[in-house]
Amino acid sequence: RRELPDGAARPSAALFKQLVVTALRELHGEVGAALPVDVLTYEEKTMSAILRVISSGFVKLWSALTLLGFYQNRRCAFRVLQTSPFLLALSGNSRELVLD
Amino acid sequence: TPRPPRRYVLCEVLVEEPRCRQGIEERALGLAVRDAVARAHGDFGLAACCVSFTVKYLNAYTGAVLLRCRRDAHRLLCSALPLVRLLESRGQRYPCALRTLHVGGTIRSCQKFLIQYNRRQLLMLLQNCTNEEERQAIQQSVLSCSLTEEPSQSGDEEDDDDTE
Repeated sequence: RRELPDGAARPSAALFKQLVVTALRELHGEVGAALPVDVLTYEEKTMSAILRVISSGFVKLWSALTLLGFYQNRRCAFRVLQTSPFLLALSGNSRELVLD
Repeated sequence: TPRPPRRYVLCEVLVEEPRCRQGIEERALGLAVRDAVARAHGDFGLAACCVSFTVKYLNAYTGAVLLRCRRDAHRLLCSALPLVRLLESRGQRYPCALRTLHVGGTIRSCQKFLIQYNRRQLLMLLQNCTNEEERQAIQQSVLSCSLTEEPSQSGDEEDDDDTE
């Protein structure tokens, strides 16, 4: 999920993908930017998305998202909520699980 | 005291006009390689390669270059070498290419390879040269470098007579 502190215009799905690729390019160069990353879902309201990447590129992607601080002179941050090799596991977040 | 693990990459600089090659400086080449690594592998690659990156040896006549990097980063460095396209020397930019000849762990292994490589190049030039004077000159060089077996001499000969 992406956080913008100044509440400016929310990015579209294409712009979100552009952000991810830019982050990869800054940290890992052209090789990183060529990593095939898919945005499976994107919610503009919460600015959260599910990304898919090959497992050999997982470390590169997460490190690039963590270290992206600025985009076009605006401060921003990525927060990684959940990672899993299975898509179904992302439907429930065990961190927010409430046991009754 | 433990030595940091290093890798030495031996490459050959190819330029279109042999005249430009003589003006190459180590610093310019080092900057060009660093820039290529930064473009190819980003901030992470630049930092990983350039911790102990130097141009250890440069022979402007034959185009032999010896680069040093950390052992973990030699793959990043070698994969970024084909991206070196322009070289700046004396305020002018020349198109160039870097061909990797040998990757070794010590300078000595690269030197041995360079000696054998130069010997083979001389023999090939002898076969391919068309002029009788050039043939004489090359035969002289071959004879002079195969008589004495000095390990300190790296066997580099000037091949500015022959043009491709």
